[in-house]
Amino acid sequence: MPSPETPAPAATLWHRLNPLTKLVAAIATGVAALIAGGLLIPLALIAGAVLLPAASAGVLPRLMRAVLVLTLPLAVSVLVVNLLFFPAGQDVLFRLGPLTGTADGLRYGVEVLVRLLALSGGVTLFYLTTRPGDLTLDLERRGVSPRVAFVANASIGTVPAILERAEAITQAQRARGLDTEGGLLARARGIVPIVGPVILGAIAEVERRTLALEARGFGRPGRRTLLWEPPDSGAQRAARWAMVLALPLLAVLRATVGLP
Amino acid sequence: MTLVAEGLSYRHAGASRVALRDINLSLADGEVVGVVGANEAGKSTLCLVLAGLAPRVVGGQLAGRLLIDGEDVAGLAPHRLAGRVGIVFDDPGTQLSGVAVTVYEEVAFGPSNLAVGRAELIERTEWALDLLGIRALAGRDPARLSGGQQQLVAIASILAMRPRHLVLDEPTAQLDPAGTALVGEALQRLAASGVSVLLVEHKTDLVERLASRVLVLDGGRVALEGPASDVLVDPRLPGLGVAPPARVRLRSRLAEAGLESPALLEAIAAASAASVSAPQGPASAVSAGGPA
Amino acid sequence: MTELRLEGVRFDYPGGVRALDGVDLVIRPGERVALVGQNGSGKTTLVRHLDGLLRPTAGRVLVGGVDAAGLTVARLARTVGLAFQDPDSQVFASSVRAEVSFGPRNVGLRGATLQAAVDWALESVGLAGEAATNPFDLGVSRRKLLTIASVLAMGTPVVILDEPTTGQDLRGVLRIESILDGLTAQGRTVIAITHDLRFAAERFDRIVGMRAGKMILDGPPETVFAASAWPALRTTWLEPPLPALVGERLGLGSTPTDESLVAAVGSTGGAALSG
Repeated sequence: MPSPETPAPAATLWHRLNPLTKLVAAIATGVAALIAGGLLIPLALIAGAVLLPAASAGVLPRLMRAVLVLTLPLAVSVLVVNLLFFPAGQDVLFRLGPLTGTADGLRYGVEVLVRLLALSGGVTLFYLTTRPGDLTLDLERRGVSPRVAFVANASIGTVPAILERAEAITQAQRARGLDTEGGLLARARGIVPIVGPVILGAIAEVERRTLALEARGFGRPGRRTLLWEPPDSGAQRAARWAMVLALPLLAVLRATVGLP
Repeated sequence: MTLVAEGLSYRHAGASRVALRDINLSLADGEVVGVVGANEAGKSTLCLVLAGLAPRVVGGQLAGRLLIDGEDVAGLAPHRLAGRVGIVFDDPGTQLSGVAVTVYEEVAFGPSNLAVGRAELIERTEWALDLLGIRALAGRDPARLSGGQQQLVAIASILAMRPRHLVLDEPTAQLDPAGTALVGEALQRLAASGVSVLLVEHKTDLVERLASRVLVLDGGRVALEGPASDVLVDPRLPGLGVAPPARVRLRSRLAEAGLESPALLEAIAAASAASVSAPQGPASAVSAGGPA
Repeated sequence: MTELRLEGVRFDYPGGVRALDGVDLVIRPGERVALVGQNGSGKTTLVRHLDGLLRPTAGRVLVGGVDAAGLTVARLARTVGLAFQDPDSQVFASSVRAEVSFGPRNVGLRGATLQAAVDWALESVGLAGEAATNPFDLGVSRRKLLTIASVLAMGTPVVILDEPTTGQDLRGVLRIESILDGLTAQGRTVIAITHDLRFAAERFDRIVGMRAGKMILDGPPETVFAASAWPALRTTWLEPPLPALVGERLGLGSTPTDESLVAAVGSTGGAALSG
């Protein structure tokens, strides 16, 4: 079998981009949408910097699903709240008992939503097309301390681990008669028996992990040998700078000339 | 090449009681020494001390000498000991680095920390994967393996740092029978490769199979020590909180009933040999105990 | 008296993994049942159906003749006490006594009844002298005994222990065995998940073997460890206990325990041994 010391060559051009390039693209997309405001530019960003690359990388359906799950609750509340309660709302669209829907509210709600989608879409695209760990390898190659890179990488994996643990603890306490299906008071009583072991367990696990890491030479100061290095190129470096520099330019344009 | 402890005593930080008291032991190349004893007898602490994690990482006070090939290494930083003494813990999950996407990268993590050259990093990683028979798992996500497979990865990850001595703290405690069989087979291969092994285990059947010498710890001291064939039949074992191997228990039960006979002993010996070598289930390190 | 009954229980985890695949099982009051099988074979999934932590995708679970589907976990916990395998996923109180009181308090015990239940449970697991100790000052093996005490104190007619002997030394195992005897003497039903087949053979009336979500063996140790069942055992990496292997070799029939082998050898007067 092929030796997996380096990951199999990624399927698509977008996948093959340097992780830092993809990260800068994701953040720049979101920030640009925030700065630009309005509808046209954020929509263009979503189309050009999120949907198009996602389609070219073959992750468009997964991206849509993930973004939907992540932003749907927030999107609905943003739309409803603005539609009904936008303070300066003038053009009345409809009245429903004491509630009034305004066109200004709707328009503002959609603007917020579009910016939200640009941000979450960009970040999701990064996650869907980057092998976990590649970003840290790349950062280490650029001289970031192995410890910092390790913490950054490990903390990405921590949240699901804690949620999994909390679920196991909840099950164990329910088996001991803890009522989590009852009223608010009953649920409140369950906080200590569930959160307690989550915290204590996390502390104990840090101790065990520290020992295991030390035993594997992680305490050694200085550079580590990298198994492989995510490739980079002059063009990508230029593209990253261009994206970063475009942001203040966009802000200046908006303040002076105005944007659509 | 030997690992020698001379008069090792150790006290945990803030503890009034001494955890280890005047331990003397030696571990020669290719030798497997079993360590058994009741819970809280000091077995895990001994592992931490031998691997240089106590007192350097966990604190506490150490007295005595720890010699590797004649050099006193007591108190040396763990990363300076990592290429000489390796340690494997009981919990398969928390030994993973948490940052590796594949088994290959997981196994490479240790030697990459030691900053060996890139060619050597690859060579060591593949050597360790082959030694444990887990080359076929190389591309898998370590977090999604069975407990037994994760322990094999943990052992390979330590061996890739090329220690001559390996300390294992109840490596099968959290495994099912399939996982225990996998680790048992791997340890046999290891010993044959010349690595010396100190194996802490409750499962005396496994110790009997693997170890040539056995130490029994009790209250931080060595209570019994000698060839496995003597120590594991010692009538004092149960009093020290250790369950003798199944073969030994059965023989002593028959002897109590006055029923021991050469034919019976022969049947017991044959049955225990057969049960050890029985190819239980789908016997491949890689297919066995796959994740649900 | 509480009978436990699973009728055609199937369970699929979200994502589609089938963890139980048509389990029919009746456990009568006062029975002592060992569940054996590889990790992932469905043992833990099965017992979690008995206290409602998991609900069947298809089929029914009856506890004391009542369909568990209509009962909350908190309600079922008054009947079925389940001790989880990992103490660190449940211990939270700052003293051993407070930890053990949590379960019985949840199921409604108060005052002197509560005190008595807690005292008895601590006594059973040998932690009576540690009532004021912080659980985290106990070693992990004693913390595990503490979690068993936490469930014993609930006084449920059914007690389920998930791998009780794992990580215990000889004294701990003997302690668990005496706890089992105490529970049986009180007429309680005991179910234990275990990987230790010797423990299962010596201490249980009935052994249920699981593989890939199905029951593949069910019967007393003499049946489950008889030579005819070995092929089935070995398909799931379970090796029969040594006395069973020796008895078969000597033509003494099924002798799953040291005691049964000694009795079988004794009854032949040594005649079997020349062959």
